[in-house]
Amino acid sequence: MSRKRILNILLKEWQVLFTDVGSTMIVILLPFLIIGQMLLYVWLAVNFAGDKAMDIGVFQNAIAKLQVAIPGVAGLSGAEPFLVLLLNQFTLFLLLIPVMIAMNTVTFSIVDEKLSGSLEALLATPVRTWELLLGKALAGAIPSLLMTWLVAGVFLLVITLMGWGNLVGMVMTPVWFLSLFLLTPAITALSFLLGVIGSSRAKDAKNAQNIVMVVILPLFGLIAIQVTGVAWLNTLSALGLAVLLLVIDFIVLRIAVRLFQRESIVVKWR
Amino acid sequence: MSVIEVHNLTKKFGERAAVEGLSLQVEEGEVLGLLGPNGAGKTTTIRMLAGIIAPSSGSAIVADHQIPSDIERLHEAIGLLTESPGFYDRFSAYRNLEFFAGFYSNIDAPVQIEKYLKLMGLWERRENRVGTYSKGMKHRLALARALLHEPKVLFLDEPTAGLDPEAAQEVRELIKRLSGEGRTIFLCTHNLMEAEQLCHRIAVIRTHLLALDTGYNLRNRFFRREIIIQVQSLDSAISEAVKRLAFVQRMQIENNRLTVELNEPEQNRPELVKAVVDAGGRIMEVFENKQPLEEIYLKLIREENESEP
Repeated sequence: MSRKRILNILLKEWQVLFTDVGSTMIVILLPFLIIGQMLLYVWLAVNFAGDKAMDIGVFQNAIAKLQVAIPGVAGLSGAEPFLVLLLNQFTLFLLLIPVMIAMNTVTFSIVDEKLSGSLEALLATPVRTWELLLGKALAGAIPSLLMTWLVAGVFLLVITLMGWGNLVGMVMTPVWFLSLFLLTPAITALSFLLGVIGSSRAKDAKNAQNIVMVVILPLFGLIAIQVTGVAWLNTLSALGLAVLLLVIDFIVLRIAVRLFQRESIVVKWR
Repeated sequence: MSVIEVHNLTKKFGERAAVEGLSLQVEEGEVLGLLGPNGAGKTTTIRMLAGIIAPSSGSAIVADHQIPSDIERLHEAIGLLTESPGFYDRFSAYRNLEFFAGFYSNIDAPVQIEKYLKLMGLWERRENRVGTYSKGMKHRLALARALLHEPKVLFLDEPTAGLDPEAAQEVRELIKRLSGEGRTIFLCTHNLMEAEQLCHRIAVIRTHLLALDTGYNLRNRFFRREIIIQVQSLDSAISEAVKRLAFVQRMQIENNRLTVELNEPEQNRPELVKAVVDAGGRIMEVFENKQPLEEIYLKLIREENESEP
């Protein structure tokens, strides 16, 4: 019965999501905008400051670490090592996609139900709290995960078309695959669960979005650590991070169920 | 057999008691009206009995399910009509009901949806978006939603609030029909006329229970029973004849109208009429001076206000 109820919520959420043009645009266009914008910055950086960047100490450190992680980089010339350094950050930029989609979709989910009055009727059905929250989280997480994978493919195609096809092999490292197929689902789940927590605890969607913001800061931190040469995300650390995130996901789901206080939502929200 | 049994139910929000020491029973097939001013605890009572919020103390058994420990099975057995209908406005009426039906086990959703959309007169507009529905249609749709799984007990919170008289009457007719089917209905309302029309018994609450009885018994409890006899021409022979009757408690004369207070109007009325006729009175009309439920309600609330420190 649980599976039937979760599927029921999932299908309803998708119908709500995809019958709203604004929300559909966010799911479909936002990922391309994020990655497109980042690619533009990379192109500008490499074409207008690539050679100079190679002389900057922090980047030299980063490229040294990059050469250890991807030995083929040593054989590149000119600003190409700097370009590979930047392109490898897309492994982490892609993780921003589910976070951004979560901020713009799931955070409205419970707030909207409460404001429309449908939540009380929903809570009067035999649905369990965890079924409701999981259904809502999955309804956003699945399309964002698919969009992230689609955008990853498009990204590889675009860099090939931009004349950087020879570098694709240095982007599609084991970390790239680990990130796409383990880190991305884990981050997606975390973002959507935090979105649901935010949505059930906050009094409006803006406050709920602030809770999801918590995920963005560590991601930017990771990018900064890599680009400045402090550390490099290798296969082992990526795997460790993924496992850690999956454990956090499980804990956050438990917390979400505990924090979702039916009574407080029904009685206090007006 | 009691379908709802409430014992000393209390709900506190912080220090403030919204409902205190509420005890009552509702029999199978009964329509119980819950009356009270704003903030009296009507909605809180319904929410507790419908398993939406947990009581602070006390206990309740609804349709054989203990509250608050057996909520999931309780929700299979009850239907709740919330004060605000709350639908997904971009969905059709059919899709809305299909979604809510998806949470119940052992129901044939398409059959039930068709049955109740037809009963509510919404079948022809089933594919229209709920956002295009009038308030009355939304209320009827909400009633259909509450009935999809054939609940034994229905909780209706202000089912006609905010509706125009025609739509309100339609909803009242539907409630009568459901009551006729033998469902137990717990109706929370501000509308005293509605309570009188629909309910077998009436509970007046203001945080705690002030009175619980049938409208008839409440009248007898709070007001004297008076019979009014309008005659064509009133003279002393008629008034003397009435005064002589042993069961007459009190009599008042105004123009050609006699207001007579009786102990048991049902039994004494024929004899009273006979006495007037025998004394030469030509009766125009005879009726009981029924105090409206509103008077009883206001009296109870006033008494409660006066008793507060």
